[in-house]
Amino acid sequence: MLNLESSYSLRRARLVSADDIAMTCRVRLARNLERERFPDWATGKDRERVLETVCGAVMREAGEFRVSAVAALDEQARDVLCEMHLASQDLMAREVGGGVAYAPDGSVCVMVNEEDHLRIQGFAKGLELEAAWRAADALDTALERHLPYAWTPRYGYLTACPSNVGTGLRAGAMLHLLGLRLLGEIEAVVRGLERMRLLVRGVAGEGSEAAGQIYQVSNMDTLGRDEAETVGRVKRICTEVVRQEYQARVRLVRESPLVLADCLARSLSVLQSARLMSTAEALEFLSALRLGAALGLVTRLKVADVDRLILLMQPGHLQKSLGLALTPEERDEMRAVFLRRRVASLRLKG
Amino acid sequence: MKCELCQKAEAETAIHRKVGAEEQELYVCKACASAGAGPEAGATPEVEQQAAEGCQAVGGVAAFPLMGMILDAAFEIVGRAAVAAGEASCPVCGITRAEYRKASRLGCPACYEAFSEELEAAILDLHRSLQHNGKTPERCQRSRQLAQLERALAEAVQAQRYEEAIALRDQLRRLGGGGAC
Repeated sequence: MLNLESSYSLRRARLVSADDIAMTCRVRLARNLERERFPDWATGKDRERVLETVCGAVMREAGEFRVSAVAALDEQARDVLCEMHLASQDLMAREVGGGVAYAPDGSVCVMVNEEDHLRIQGFAKGLELEAAWRAADALDTALERHLPYAWTPRYGYLTACPSNVGTGLRAGAMLHLLGLRLLGEIEAVVRGLERMRLLVRGVAGEGSEAAGQIYQVSNMDTLGRDEAETVGRVKRICTEVVRQEYQARVRLVRESPLVLADCLARSLSVLQSARLMSTAEALEFLSALRLGAALGLVTRLKVADVDRLILLMQPGHLQKSLGLALTPEERDEMRAVFLRRRVASLRLKG
Repeated sequence: MKCELCQKAEAETAIHRKVGAEEQELYVCKACASAGAGPEAGATPEVEQQAAEGCQAVGGVAAFPLMGMILDAAFEIVGRAAVAAGEASCPVCGITRAEYRKASRLGCPACYEAFSEELEAAILDLHRSLQHNGKTPERCQRSRQLAQLERALAEAVQAQRYEEAIALRDQLRRLGGGGAC
């Protein structure tokens, strides 16, 4: 049996970063051009004109950005961009007039003709939402020199869906909340967040399940508060959720060590032995491994290592690393091989 | 003659648009003609097909969990009078209330003005606010300043703070009317 209490006590002293629980964060700004139909109602020609205008502005202001039309990307390249959160599935379905521009380091991007003409996104690690906001804001300010944004004094930035009107800002963090799930407390936390008018979604955004117990928590309101207030509020509330997850992990070790040990042992065994593994399944088992790494209960494994595996096992990255185009069945087989090799030497402590 | 849609550029062409059962002829500039000409305004079959694909794409997706319900409630109240008076549509993009209600997405920025009454109720439900307090694009700073002064002036008049109201009115006059945004 694992000696969880002592292992965790040792680890706890080093558990000073919120990054073990808050994986990444992002700030998104929705923008549209005056006198242009919103993308869902525009003709292909309308969208192509908007794409050309926006890409022209991006190239003038950020010459180092990589710019691509959706139509020019193959399936694998589209998957890779979605897995890095630089594009959404909805954008990748926009064959005519869809486009994406992103900084080479992936810290900021613009999706063109998704739901709105522009969706500017800034990314940062952990709960550094201010950094994500600064990145998105800087690009937005640079682009507005060339783009006539639809804006009114009353409603601010006008968006295709009134749920985004105002600042057009959605600030959110990806939180790994497996401890709260194992203690059966996650539903209460989600209800509490919703009462505070925060949106709780899965990794893939709107309508997605929280696979691997990774939740995206973001602001619901975009009108009334300014950007700094909104970002600050989301950060404060997410910090509180991180604290609750931390406390859940402490209680899990003290009060339910068997539940925790079982979860870790099962997950590691499956990852070390499975011959077929879907993306969703892999995410569930890697989520448990991530908790084990955060608690210092798995030999030679850091949280960042698991985060890397979570990215690399996804369809686009998996095929890219192999240099092959695979069927979904072949992908499941190769994913199982990839993960078996990566976790073969791992052992639980204690 | 000025463009009948933007009222800024010179009108160069005529477009035809259906408003309810009525066919309207509008004299518009080149930019508004390309932005506002819907499939019904003499578009090619290819354009019509693209427009139809766009409508189907939005029609099948629940854009926002509460949006449909909130818009439904707002339209239920405001929509009755509109139905009696004929189906309203946006003068710029031409989409009707029924179309954007189904899709939960508006057609263009001008829809906020065209459907202002029902949108106000929906926006208040969604955000619990009706006033933007965030960022302003550089070119719209003057518009924002004017709007703030106008709000302050209305408040001062209502509260019978006439000296303050006169000072605000003078400030407004100095800035001049009509912003860029």
